Formats: sequence, structure tokens, C-alpha cells
Amino acid sequence: MKAVVRTLGTAGSAILRFLAPIGRFLRSVWRHPKGRVGLLIVALLVVCAVFAPWIAPYDPYDVTERAAKGLAPSLEHLLGTTITTGQDIFSMLIYGTRVSLLIGITTGVAIAFIGAFFGILAGYSGGVADTVIMRVVDILLVIPTLPLIIVLTNLFGRSYLMIIAIFAAFGWTGLARVIRSLVLVLKNANYVKAAELAGASRARIMFRHILPGVSHLLIMSTALSCAGIMVAEAGLSFLGLGDPTAISWGKMLAEAQSGGALLFGHWWWIFAPGIGIFLAVFGFMRIGLALEEMLNPRMKQSNGLFKLFRHLDNARLEEVFSQMDAERGNRPWNGN
Amino acid sequence: MNRIYVLKRVLYAIFVFAVVITLDFFIPRLGVDDPAARYYPPQGNMTEIEYEIVKQATREQYGFDVPVFQQYLNYLEGLTRFDLGTSFRSGSPRVSDLISERLPWTLALSVTNLVISLFFGILIGAFAAWKRGRWQDTLLLNASTFTTALPAFFIALILTFYLGFEFELFPAYTNPNMVAEFDWSWDAIKVVMNNAALPILSMAVGGIVAYGQSTRNSVIAVTNEDFILTAKAKGLTPRTVLYKHILRNAMLPIVTSLGMSISGLIGGAVIIEQIFNWNGMGTLFLEANSTNDYPLMMGIMLFMSAVAIAANLVTELVYGLLDPRVTVGDRR
Amino acid sequence: MERELMLRVKNLKVVFPTPAGVLRAVEGIDLDIHKGECVALVGESGCGKSVSALAVMRLLSTPPAVVRVDELTLDGEDLRDLSEAKMQDIRGKRMAMIFQDAMTALNPVMTIGRQLDELYIRHEHMNAHDARKASIRALELVGVPEPASRANSYPHQLSGGMRQRVMIAMAFACMPKLIIADEPTTALDVTIQAQVLDVLNEMQKKHDVAQLLITHDLSVVANTADVVYVMYSGRIVERATVHDLFNAPQHPYTKGLLASVPKLGDEKRKFTQIPETVPHPLHKPRGCYFHPRCPRATAFCGKDVPPLLETPDGRQLRCWYPLLAKGVDRP
Repeated sequence: MKAVVRTLGTAGSAILRFLAPIGRFLRSVWRHPKGRVGLLIVALLVVCAVFAPWIAPYDPYDVTERAAKGLAPSLEHLLGTTITTGQDIFSMLIYGTRVSLLIGITTGVAIAFIGAFFGILAGYSGGVADTVIMRVVDILLVIPTLPLIIVLTNLFGRSYLMIIAIFAAFGWTGLARVIRSLVLVLKNANYVKAAELAGASRARIMFRHILPGVSHLLIMSTALSCAGIMVAEAGLSFLGLGDPTAISWGKMLAEAQSGGALLFGHWWWIFAPGIGIFLAVFGFMRIGLALEEMLNPRMKQSNGLFKLFRHLDNARLEEVFSQMDAERGNRPWNGN
Repeated sequence: MNRIYVLKRVLYAIFVFAVVITLDFFIPRLGVDDPAARYYPPQGNMTEIEYEIVKQATREQYGFDVPVFQQYLNYLEGLTRFDLGTSFRSGSPRVSDLISERLPWTLALSVTNLVISLFFGILIGAFAAWKRGRWQDTLLLNASTFTTALPAFFIALILTFYLGFEFELFPAYTNPNMVAEFDWSWDAIKVVMNNAALPILSMAVGGIVAYGQSTRNSVIAVTNEDFILTAKAKGLTPRTVLYKHILRNAMLPIVTSLGMSISGLIGGAVIIEQIFNWNGMGTLFLEANSTNDYPLMMGIMLFMSAVAIAANLVTELVYGLLDPRVTVGDRR
Repeated sequence: MERELMLRVKNLKVVFPTPAGVLRAVEGIDLDIHKGECVALVGESGCGKSVSALAVMRLLSTPPAVVRVDELTLDGEDLRDLSEAKMQDIRGKRMAMIFQDAMTALNPVMTIGRQLDELYIRHEHMNAHDARKASIRALELVGVPEPASRANSYPHQLSGGMRQRVMIAMAFACMPKLIIADEPTTALDVTIQAQVLDVLNEMQKKHDVAQLLITHDLSVVANTADVVYVMYSGRIVERATVHDLFNAPQHPYTKGLLASVPKLGDEKRKFTQIPETVPHPLHKPRGCYFHPRCPRATAFCGKDVPPLLETPDGRQLRCWYPLLAKGVDRP
């Protein structure tokens, strides 16, 4: 019985230790104006993805209403219907969040794990491990990403899982490099040296000391990776190389182009999925940007200062100056 | 510059290239029992025996009838002659021929895009940095938040819609006769420019803003450094401070970005080429993909990787020339 | 022995408007520096010394700073309303500055030779060849070995002390009348500090140049300065000759500073510290700025700002209850 409680306790505290920084970050991102916008957008998208069947007015796959092809936006079809098949565009938009978020977030998290693992390992261990890992990174970075992904999906199939796996297998390199640079700096921090002196094992130091140190950077990079992955996935499905059964914004754009949306001026068919992609990417990027500004305050836009100058009326400044003049009080003295 | 540094970088580039070649060789041979399986034509109406004969012929043609190691050596030997293999297309054209045919068209797009993005991007970025905090700067920063979230192919569709269809400024689809009729005459060149306008513009919108933002950040970061204050304290003219001190340092990260852009010069325009049906390497690759033309696909991948490696190498060397801190030279 | 006045600053005020309030960096200070004199401006970090130096050179840009001064005269010339172009002629040539951290104060992608040449080309209108000869001579004067080949090095290839010598060479290159040295030795090891200070001293005395030495380190002051201004939170609180200051300080803050410098042969067991920290530039106390930390403070000290008193022989003091006097008339 005691053993059960103890293992639960250790598991529980491990989970809490994992979740706590995430909770803290969410709160700090919420406080940041840019971050708040990002969080709201992402939350909106998640809601759409999860509750798609309830939010979307029609079944997006429904092609039975042949007469209703190519409709302009109206009250019945908020974003009109496709020219080719008469599917409701608005419903397709809502369902599209599922694919983007699923692939974006899953791959992003996978990249976070892989990238952090190799980055920390390379940075902290140094020596052979570092060299090997960095050489692998260099080699992977040299191969052009999109063609490689196309080849691999050709060879190994186009299911969701395969796409996520391939994206993750080649997307971790940038993150690993960035994490490694930070780890190289953290390695020399006093608290790490103290842990080493105390005899902590390498694994323990890497997990308990270095990892929290890079967590901020890690989460920020993950947010940005998710954004990048979503663009890449959109590109892939635009080329028709994504999962064939999925409704994806990229695919919608491709269908729009080949279905003649441009020709017939159906701008809504183009803009709907495009705005979808934009929102998803924008949301994650805002979160990433907010975290970046928190990490590196110098990069903040300081246009506030100049505007401030105009607001601060000269009367106030003159007040300060005359007060200083009054307090100067130079007086001769005999130095008794 | 340090000879050893140069040698190290070159050797390293060769090493990476060797690994990439090996990967390129093995990837199509992965995941199947019979490595030549992907090279067989479809069976169609052939009987088993006929198909066997065809398979054997295919194996011989693509060199699968010898042991793997021998295949690898043959492959390497072919590479020294710039022979990247033979495509599955009718007429069995050589991959290297197909590439050299299409390459200039891709370069026409990407190089022009790069030059435009660099030129205008740096100008706008430096200007925004000069007007830091004012509306010009804010405009650039807002623009960048938008364009970085808008994929180039979406921008391409929007531009095609408005500039191509609504206002009919540029052709929305590439003239299919453009390649065949090209004869280096001024008229032919004008046709190409007209057709290339939309693709280049789609890429340049994002490119200009990206370089602009990057330049702006770099210039502002450098302007806040102590040595700029020293330069001013020495009474140097603002022009000297700007060119000799600020820009010389601010350009360093741009050089690195430029290197990365050059790496992506060939493979980066795949989707754009597809949208506009542009007759370049991107569409070549997609055609190869749709017909499972492995020799062509792998040949193109290898070529793109080689370009990326060369671009990285040149960038590193140029950067080493510009930033004296990089080459581990003579430390006293 | 009144020598001619090289720099006169009267009622210098510098503030920084911020969203959180007006930040008062310098609150009406006066500085007088005579020809050949070495004047030290001493105070803790954040008391406004560096800002004052930049204000004298007119290197503070107006956003974010607002600068007011009643008089700012260099060698008889009024600097207040000069155009920026004229100021650029003066900076580097008639007055020069040495910065604290030579690693960040030098352009990393330019050889030190070129950075020295720049001065000669700009102010002495030399061509590149002559400028390089002059630069090499300047490096020699500050004690850089093998100056001809060193001129082709980059800043990161030199040691800290060597870099600071280069900064000194740059400051003295055009033989200015006034050199402002902002914490020239703070970023260096103690042993190198002594060397660099010697070089600085030697150059100053040899060329009879007026110097404003800004530092928080009193031991540096003892060996080099003639006159000392003590600054606290934007105000001058004491001015005296170096001898008077060290032997008979009047202001409790000065006494505190002196006491906190450990000396060989000191029998004390604990470091003497001045309690608390400097006031936040946005929230300064009422009355005398030092009174929250002052062992002699009374209720009165927190009410009115003590005036800056000046004796005929140049001693200045801003305190209601000075150490040696019987007290100051209070209103």
C-alpha cells in the first residue's frame, strides 16, 4: 500500500513539475498583449476543431446537393459552396482546423521532444556525442525539405501518421541547434557546477537542471515550429500530396484554383482557407513572439517612447527643472 | 584569411556531400524486398514470363543485376561524369539533360526574386531602422507579422486573382509555348518577363518584408552597441558612422540569411512553379513524383543538395572574410 | 596658482521622461576643470556620473534624454548652441572620451590601426599613409609593443589592458584639451589597472591635458586626481582637493565611501558598508537624498534639501550636519 502511494506521489510530482512551467508560461503569455491575441486565436481554432461536427452547419463531405454548386456566400451557406462539388465551404473551413491543428501540434510537440533531447545531449555532453549529433543536423539541413518530404511520402505512404513522422524526423534539427547553443551557456552556470560537484548523475543534471533552464526557449521555439509545420502541411496538401481523405485548407486552395474560383471570381473560396491558414499560423506566431519578447526584452518595439514625448507636456518638464533650480541653493560659507 | 579554416570547411563540405550521395543512393532502395521493384514498369497485360523478362531487362538497365556495393561504385563513377541516371520517361532521357534544360527557368525566377528581395528589403529595413519608433518602422513590423503568416502560394493566388484576372495586368497562367518559342530575341525575353512577373512578385512580397525586418533588427541592434558611441565620441561624421561602423556590422547576419536563401534557390519555388505551371525544376520534380520516376527524383534531390552544400560553403567563407572574429587565427 | 579654466559646467540637468514618471538623472551640478588638472567625479553606480560625461560631450540624444545647462564652456568656447556639425569637429579633437569596456567600445570588424587612422584622417586631414604613421606613433606612446604589426590586429586579438591602451591612444591622438575617462579601469584586473592608470597619468601630465576621471573606486582617485567631486543620486554633495577629502571629509557619504575601502594593515574584522542602496531614480526621498542611509540623519534632514555651500578656497558641501563643522544654519 505504501509503495503504491509513494509511486503515485513521485509520478504526481513529476507530472506537476512538467505542467507547472507550462501553466506559468500560459499565464505570462496571457498577460502579454501579443500573446493574449495568439492564445485567443488558438483557443478559437481548438474549439472549432474539437466541436466541428456541432459548429459546422453541413457535413463537409456532402456532395449530394448537386444543384447547389458554386453558390456565393448567403445566409444558408455562409461562405458559399464549391464550384466543382457543391460542398459547403464554411463547414469545410471548420473541419479543416482538425487537420491543421492535429498535424501542427502533434508534430510540434514531437519536434520539441526530439529537438530538446538531442540539443541538450549535444550541448551538455560535448565531445563525440556533440560532434555526431551536429554532423547529422548539418546533413539533414542541407537536403531540401519539401522535395525530401515528397519523396518520402511517395515511398512510404501518405497517412496522417506518416506525414507527422516525416515532418518530425526532419524538423527537429533547427530546434536542436538553438537549444544546444543555450545549453552551452547554461553548462557553465553556477547551479549546474554545484550539482556536478554534488555528484549528480549526468542524466539527472540534464533533466532536472538544464531542461528547466531551456524550457522557456523550448516552448517559444515549439510555438514557432507549429506555425511552420502548418504552413508546410498546407503546402503539401496544396500539391495534392497530403492525406487523400482529409479536408485540409491546402487542398481547398488547390481545388479552388483548379475548380476555376479565380476564373469565375469566387474570391470567397480562395480567401476562406487562406484566412484559415493565416489565423492558425498567426496565432501560434503571436504566442512565440510574446515568449521571445519576454526572453529578450531589447527587441521590443519602443515606439512608445517617441509618442510619449508628445504626450508629456512641456509644462511638466519645466516644473521638474525649476524645482531642481530651486534646490540648487548655492551659498557662500565660511566652513566653520 | 586562415588557410586552415578554409581547408577545414572545404573538407567538411565534401564529407557532407559524400553522406548525402550515399543517402541519395539508398533511399529508393529502402523498404522493399526487391530494391529494383520501384523501377519496374507496370505489368499491364504481360504474362508472368513476359513480365519476368521485362523485369530482368530493367534490372540490367538500371544496374540492379550486380551486388549492392558494385552498384554503389557504379553510381559514384557515374557521378564523376555528371551522370545522374536515366529517367523513366519515354525516350529514356538522361536526368542531367532534363535538369540542365529546366534549371535556367527556375533560376530566372529564384535569382530575380532574391535580387529584388535583397535590394528592396535592405533599403526598406535600413530606412525603418533610421525612423525607429515612427510610423514607417511600425508599418514594416506590422507588414512582417502579416506576410510571415501568409504562405507564398496563398499570396500567389491572391495576386493572380487581382492582377491576373480582375485587372489583367499579367497572365494568370504561363504561356505554354513560352519555352518552345524561346530564342533569346528581345520579344521572347519580354514574353518571359511578362509571365514571370506574378510568380516572382508572389515570392518577393514575403522576401522583401523578411529581409527588411531582418535588416531593421540588425541595424537597430548594432546602433545600440558601445562602439557606435565611441565612433560618435571621436567626432566622426554621421555618414562615416553609418557606413563604416553600423552597416559593416549589421550586414553580417544578412550574409548568413543570404546563404540560406541561396541554398533554397532551386528547391524553394516548387509550389509557386506548380501554381503558374512554370517549366522549371519544381514542376520537373512534381512530374517525376507523379510517375514514380525514381531516378529523376533522386537525381534532382542530389543536385539540389549539392547546390545547398556549395552555397553554405561559400557563405561560410565569405562570412569568415567579413567577420574577423570567426577565423581562429593568431591569438596572442 | 589659478590656472586657466578649461571646462566650466554650470547647472547641468538631465532627465529622462518615461511612462512611469520623470527620471531625474542629473540635478543641477557644476563642474570646473582647469588646464592640466585631473578632476575626479566619484559616486556609486547609477548616481549620474556617466550621464553627466555624455551630456558634456553632447552625446545624449533627445529622445530619450532632456538636457538643460546654464553654462557649458570648453576652453572659452560656448558649446551649448553649437550645431551638430561643429560639435563633431570638436569631439575627438578638442575633447575626447575613454570608455569603460574597451572590448565593446571598439568596432570588432575593424583593425585597431584603422580605428586610430580614422581620427587623424578626420581631424588632422591626413592621408591614409601619414595617418598610419601617426597611429603607430600613438600606439608606441601608450606602450603597445610592436605597434606596426599590432595596428593590423582586431580588438578581440588583444588583451584587456592592451585594448584600454588603444582607447587611451585614440583619446590622446589629436591632443585634445580635455579628456573624459569614464571608469577606465573598472573592467580590468587589478594588476592591469595599475599599469593602465600609469599610462593615463603619464600621458595626461606630459601633454598638460585637463582630465575628468569618472570612477566609483576611491583608490584610483587617491593616486591620480587633484580635485574630487563626490556625486550622490544626481547631486554633488562634496568637492575638495584630494588631500582634504581623504584626510578631512565633511560629508557622511564621503566618510562612508572612504571607510568601505579595505586597507592593508586594517584591524577591523568586518567590511564597513553603507546600509541600504542608492535611491531609485524615479522615487527619490524628500530633503537630502542621502538621509535614509546616513548615520547622522535627523528628522530635519528629510524635510529640506541642504544647499550647496562653497568656501572661498573652493571646498563645496551639501549637508545639514557636516562632520567637522559645528552645523549649518537651518531655516
